[in-house]
Amino acid sequence: MLELLVHQWKEKIRSPFWQKNMVLNIVLGIMGLYLALNVVFLSLLTDRILAQVYPGRDTIEAVTGWLFYYFSADLIIRFLFQQLPTLSILPYLTLPIKKNRLLHYLILKTIPGFFNLVAVLLILPFFVKNIALTQPVAFSIGWIIPVLSLVAVNNFLNFTLKKHFSQKPFITVLLLAGVGLLVYLDVAGIFSISAYFTAAVYHLATHAYGVLLPLALVALSYYLAHAYLKRNAYMEDTPTKATRNSAALDFLGRYGDLGHLIGVELKLILRNKRPRSLLYVCGFFFLYGFMFYKKENLDDYLILSFMGLLLPSVFSLNYGQYMFSWESSYFDRILVSDITPYTYLRSKHVLLSMSGIIGYLIVLPYAIISYKIAFINAAFLLFNIGVTYMIQLFFSTFNTAYIDLGKSQFMNYQGTGLTHFLVIIPTTGLPFLIYYLHKLTGALEFYFYSIALIGIVGIIFNRTLLQMMVRLFVKRKYRMALGFRQK
Amino acid sequence: MIEAIDLRKVYGKKLALSVDRIRIEAGEFIGLVGNNGAGKTTMLSLILDLIEPTKGYVTSKSMKVSETDDWKSYTGSYLNEGFLIPFLKPMEFLEFIGSLHQMNKDDVRAFLFANTSFFDMDTFSGKYNRELSAGNKNKIGILGSFLAKPEILILDEPFSNLDPSSQMWLKAKLRELNGEGITILISSHDLKHVTEICSRILLLEEGHILKDTPTDADTLVELEEYFKI
Repeated sequence: MLELLVHQWKEKIRSPFWQKNMVLNIVLGIMGLYLALNVVFLSLLTDRILAQVYPGRDTIEAVTGWLFYYFSADLIIRFLFQQLPTLSILPYLTLPIKKNRLLHYLILKTIPGFFNLVAVLLILPFFVKNIALTQPVAFSIGWIIPVLSLVAVNNFLNFTLKKHFSQKPFITVLLLAGVGLLVYLDVAGIFSISAYFTAAVYHLATHAYGVLLPLALVALSYYLAHAYLKRNAYMEDTPTKATRNSAALDFLGRYGDLGHLIGVELKLILRNKRPRSLLYVCGFFFLYGFMFYKKENLDDYLILSFMGLLLPSVFSLNYGQYMFSWESSYFDRILVSDITPYTYLRSKHVLLSMSGIIGYLIVLPYAIISYKIAFINAAFLLFNIGVTYMIQLFFSTFNTAYIDLGKSQFMNYQGTGLTHFLVIIPTTGLPFLIYYLHKLTGALEFYFYSIALIGIVGIIFNRTLLQMMVRLFVKRKYRMALGFRQK
Repeated sequence: MIEAIDLRKVYGKKLALSVDRIRIEAGEFIGLVGNNGAGKTTMLSLILDLIEPTKGYVTSKSMKVSETDDWKSYTGSYLNEGFLIPFLKPMEFLEFIGSLHQMNKDDVRAFLFANTSFFDMDTFSGKYNRELSAGNKNKIGILGSFLAKPEILILDEPFSNLDPSSQMWLKAKLRELNGEGITILISSHDLKHVTEICSRILLLEEGHILKDTPTDADTLVELEEYFKI
């Protein structure tokens, strides 16, 4: 068992990604720590927040009710994003190690996972401050055991859920809708499931046998996970999904090499887990409009430009960052193919522009809130096509890290390098520089016209700019290919 | 056809390949042999401009491969899995390659039909390239390199992972293509295969060309003598 953990550790620190990016790891480490601290503070301040939102309500009771939502959301998010560790044991299956032991190891390995850490950081500080220090010991223990058990149950239950439902998007939608309905009923006061939940936790906390039931649930969920893995820990069970039919993309062939290249790249996005999950996540991002497009913000040029720059192009900006890295597993094929670098890079630019235009159309309904939004976003669409996507292509030629298309996007930093942080500076910096220049000269009302104009100039010089990128690409391609070959 | 002049590739301090001068004439069929690490793949990668030479250069039809893209239109190649697009179905992949050489779907289908004993389309349907076995991946890659009606064909260990019938077929096919005037450069660990079909053998050792000889009746024995431990 220990040996396995040592191997795991070696796998992590010996991956070329880890070794190549020490600085990045430190940056990520600091960010992680910062996030963890935020969660802890949130947990410590829960009682004060509650006192303001629901003055006079019992803190512990209210928090317990909230926990119901938290666990529901937790389960769904885990279902969508938590990765199950299955493949990494393949080399061990033929070695003389008891299979059961391998399976226990696989399950236990998920315990120090991201979701569990967040849950514990969120619950424990609150528990210590508001329950352990103020309530009788028996109640404290009686409260924390069911709560932590539910975290564990969620963790183990995810194995089973994933097994049954992950291939069925319909069920996922149904699950989401079901939880949504429960939350709605609860908030509307028709049927308060969170009150039942609170009552159940309180009942368990005040009865001696209350410790046993949650623990039994943990054991049951663990057993289910184990049983699932036992049936699936064979080579041939690596899931073979039905192939997707993307024949609808065939029309692209009419546009020559450019069309074929874009067609292949669209298939890349639709048929591989990582870009596809990026697509889903970006779908959620479009909802940000509801947060920012409010009456009081509609005269704030900065917020409007920020949204105009980022919201419609959220996918293209995220996807564009990793340009070329997406194709790392077959980059050699591209290099020997009879495609000119110009056509190749142009296909990237057209793809980004297309996704920018689609993003614009998706965001367009926000214009109901104010016609300004449609106008400003159009200005930024031109700016993005003319300028931002070029900047992205420029930075992308510094991508040298391999990306495994089959892994989820979530919490996945494979392929991330310092350039991905650097690219933020010009993409957001340039429009803001233009903004401040206008502010200084007192010509703020022309700001958006300038943005659009600069974009149009960029589009006019598209060919020249692309040729500059081609020169850079031709110079950098060996180093990119070399990096991509190191998986 | 292909010429390498003063070609060196060094990784860190380790010499991967060092060739003073070598010419490959049109219509030749060259077999590259040597143990692992001898520099076979390095040489093929340099000819395909996949890696940057530390020194020297390679020309194809008298033009430096690193400075033009012209050679790509008449060079078919398959080195390894990195030449396959993993998320495409085999048919889609071949159609894509074909499209880059102005072949439409019917052309690709006709091509596959002509080679149906090597590639039986039905066994591959409904799978992505990434889900194929090593041998089948190899087959798709090799077919992809033929598809473009190349003048030069470059294959790295084309016989590996192939079943016996496919190996026979491939040998015959390569001979036939060479008979049509296509220049072929392959590497292989199978000495019998290369001495049987190649017209010229290059033996590499630690980055150097140790032997450059036309194939005759004694070549196999000589090579076996060399590789004996």
